[in-house]
Amino acid sequence: MPTQDEIYSKVSATLVEALNVDEEDIKPTSTLQGDLGAESIDFLDIVFRLEREFGIKIPRGELFPESIFQGDPELVQDGRVTPKGLEELRAKMPFADLTKFEQNPEVGNLSNLFTVDLITRYIQGKLENGSQN
Amino acid sequence: MRLKDQNALVTGGSRGIGRAIAQAFAVEGARVAVVYRGSQEAAEKLVAEINNKGGRAVAFQADVADAAAVEACVQRVEQELGPIHILVNNAGVIEDDLFVRMKPEAWNRIIQTNLGGVFNFCHAVAFGMMQRRAGRIINISSVSAEHVNMGQTNYSASKGAINSFTRALAVELAKRGVTVNAIAPGFIETDMSAAVRNKAGDRIVKFIPMRRIGTPEDIARVAVFLASADSAYITGQVLTVDGGLTLGAVAE
Repeated sequence: MPTQDEIYSKVSATLVEALNVDEEDIKPTSTLQGDLGAESIDFLDIVFRLEREFGIKIPRGELFPESIFQGDPELVQDGRVTPKGLEELRAKMPFADLTKFEQNPEVGNLSNLFTVDLITRYIQGKLENGSQN
Repeated sequence: MRLKDQNALVTGGSRGIGRAIAQAFAVEGARVAVVYRGSQEAAEKLVAEINNKGGRAVAFQADVADAAAVEACVQRVEQELGPIHILVNNAGVIEDDLFVRMKPEAWNRIIQTNLGGVFNFCHAVAFGMMQRRAGRIINISSVSAEHVNMGQTNYSASKGAINSFTRALAVELAKRGVTVNAIAPGFIETDMSAAVRNKAGDRIVKFIPMRRIGTPEDIARVAVFLASADSAYITGQVLTVDGGLTLGAVAE
């Protein structure tokens, strides 16, 4: 099992390739969209490169869910994620750190969840589960 | 040489416009994969011709309408030549008939080859181009996408769809340095247009302000431009190459 640091540096190298950014621009807290300029086609490329780099399969919508709430009024109200929506989010993305998001759960802030750290934690979880099989 | 060290794949590459494009690309230094469906002899003759002149070309058989065959074809080409930098979707067929008499099979065959072929080859190469942040896709459309003729509901629909597809794909790939453009030829001297040209005779020329039928080379030169660095900032465009045919001037 690679250490978290090893995973992080591989994730970081993957993002350099996929997003054409400099390595020094990448920090654990960098958000993919806001800080690193990722667009929809880039997310596809990131998933593809991570699969190849780590030898894992990433099912569509698992790492980057495309529509978590599907406009369900129980999960989102007035542009804010409801307590039930937050539960849903925790269930679908156990690898996400929601501490900051919970303080101001506006739908517009969701993209900030997708950080370099999030990918690292996701990959770590994937590799741990894989090695148990 | 404007296409030095580039690998190009041209569908319908053994005859007509595709043949002229393959030749022009080779002259500009590209290695060319000539993809044909049934014209093996013509394809091999062309490849030999290019190689004899010091160029590099290889013939590959594939039916563009068959997604699995296209996927396999692209793999073979990439094994042989390396990554595909330039894709020209030129393969096309006609099966004219008045609409009320048109068989569903004639509709399906045209759509699956002309439009399906564009999808299949783009699908097989786009991700690689996107990852390499470079690539040129050139779709051969037709003026009949916009300027329709009797008996061509299937053909016109397939070409109109290619124009829309070209614009839509251009938007998706633009950020990754891949351009997607189309060429809409008018009347060109090829086997495909022979029937129409023979039937209408000299009357056609009167509708063309330049007073001549186009040659495959007229189209090939524009394809070279769209494949080269000269067109770096052009994407999602349909370039009409028709000697003024579609300007709508009434013959004297």
